Amino acid sequence: MSSGKKILIVDDDLDLLEQHKLLLESKGYQVFCADTTDNGWELFLQEKPDAAIIDLMMEEHDSGFVLSYKIKSHEFGKNIPVFILTSATYVTGYKFEAKTDEEREWIKCDEIINKPVQVDQLVQKLEHYFAEQSAHH
Amino acid sequence: MDNQKPKVLIVDDEKGLRIGTKRLLEQEGYCVATAENGKEGIRIGTSEEFDIAIIDLKMPDIDGITVLKEIRNKWPNTVCFIATAYASYETAIEATKLGAFSYIPKPFTPDEFLSNVNKGYENRLHILDRENWKREREARLLEVAFEKTRINTIINSISDGILVVNKNAETVLFNPSALVYLSLEKIDIEENILNKINPQISDLITKCLQKGEYVKKSYSSQVEIKPNHELVIEATSSPVPHPDGSLAGVVVVLKNITKLKKIEYIKNQFVSMVSHELKAPIAAVYGFLKILSDPNIPVSPEQQESFIKRSETRLESLLKMVNDLLDISRMEMNTYHREIIEIDVNEIIISILELFSSEIENKKIDVTKNVDSPLPVIHGDSGEITRLFTNLISNAIKYNKEGGKININIECSGNYLLAEIADTGIGMKDDEVNSLFHEFYRAKNEFTKNISGTGLGLSIVKRIVDAYSGKLEVFSEYKTGTTFRIFLPINKGNAQNS
Repeated sequence: MSSGKKILIVDDDLDLLEQHKLLLESKGYQVFCADTTDNGWELFLQEKPDAAIIDLMMEEHDSGFVLSYKIKSHEFGKNIPVFILTSATYVTGYKFEAKTDEEREWIKCDEIINKPVQVDQLVQKLEHYFAEQSAHH
Repeated sequence: MDNQKPKVLIVDDEKGLRIGTKRLLEQEGYCVATAENGKEGIRIGTSEEFDIAIIDLKMPDIDGITVLKEIRNKWPNTVCFIATAYASYETAIEATKLGAFSYIPKPFTPDEFLSNVNKGYENRLHILDRENWKREREARLLEVAFEKTRINTIINSISDGILVVNKNAETVLFNPSALVYLSLEKIDIEENILNKINPQISDLITKCLQKGEYVKKSYSSQVEIKPNHELVIEATSSPVPHPDGSLAGVVVVLKNITKLKKIEYIKNQFVSMVSHELKAPIAAVYGFLKILSDPNIPVSPEQQESFIKRSETRLESLLKMVNDLLDISRMEMNTYHREIIEIDVNEIIISILELFSSEIENKKIDVTKNVDSPLPVIHGDSGEITRLFTNLISNAIKYNKEGGKININIECSGNYLLAEIADTGIGMKDDEVNSLFHEFYRAKNEFTKNISGTGLGLSIVKRIVDAYSGKLEVFSEYKTGTTFRIFLPINKGNAQNS
């Protein structure tokens, strides 16, 4: 189903990074991994992925938001789905989601996905965005 | 007894009269003093309080009116008679104006004289009674006033806010703290308070009043008076009874719980943070297990072995974190039972270095150690002191470079034992040093990402040093190395034991 789309994963937990890579590869995606926001940004510019999945808490508690914002502000990046990966809803006591346009606007990402990741759900969401994109074109 | 007898002063220049009246009065049970002229009369009459003074109007030196004035001036309650042979209406008026009780015309018979003096003495007793009663009444009034001020002062000094309202919710009494905790500029006595204050607190008052009768039951509520937890109070309303048991009104006590709320918030954050930190390794191991058990995901034998190994590592660090957390919680709750003994820090460090010998060898780290001789002993719990230096030395190895150095220096510094542990490791940036002792803080940079840790080690170090009233210093240069200096008190190293 997935036609070898390019997915960028950024996570500072090397174990989770590798697991997510394996899982998504098993679903037929081409996966690029970065373990810092800087590397993630470079890889984004270099590979121009079709989607990005970014862990929220890396160098800083909100590194994921910062990187997501950068990607979403980029000419190419504004058109790709960016997912934030987190268990932070429990950490800060603040529940945040990206359900409304307003939330998506200030958070600058398309989905917030709670850990641990259910790969089938993740794939479903990715495919949903890819389908929307091709419908637009 | 002389001092129980009524005292009479006779001022007269006529010697015969002095002797005669003295004898007469003494027979009647009076105690009598005499003065032969005005000057003498003033001296004796003002030196002590007489019940009665009988003053001759015309004397060679000073006239009787002056003597009367002087005596009455000093003792307003002394009953004074003016005695004179030159009785005139004018002098009588003047003498009375000046406070003379009566006027004894000369010559007089013993009976006349005695009757006058006795009447005067009766009057004197009345005066004294009245004085006594007045004094008592004043004292009582003073006491009541004092009691009232005292209660007011006490109520105004209470740091909790106090607000008392009557049955109609009109203010009867409040103290300054109540204004602060209700966030009001002023409250007028007798004004209805319900619409003026926070509705939650109004509710508490209404609850106490709505039954219309006195029911001994209090209501409490936590109220955020200023937003963002700036001022949070706990308000408690209790009904106040009349002496006959009917409902008089309500007293509201306002307690500032802002600090408690802050602590509660920090605690909740800590719990969330702990959960998050515990979740990460669990998620990693869970992920590996899922992949290994999923036949649809191709995994090579090498990957399989690596995943198991990495799962083990994550679980080990999870276990270590749980142990660290238990230690922290024991320290926080003060349930850690210290066994204070004399400790040779050098010995402890030697045994720690032995424990880490394989790690030191693997990383080809060069350890040098300088120890003052003789080294003073410190008093402490050997488990805790070992933990302190284990965490520091383990960090010095973990964050060191391949082939780096660790320099340990132990010396006496004033009343402290100074242990310095310097490494040539990856060092830290300034902002990283500042966050170093926070729970779960781990400097995140290109060097640290492959080093596992709980983020609790240095937080434990700090807690131990604090418990021993010691001091901790850190010097660090990014990419160059870090030096920890631990000061532990030499003689009085007794940590507060629980």
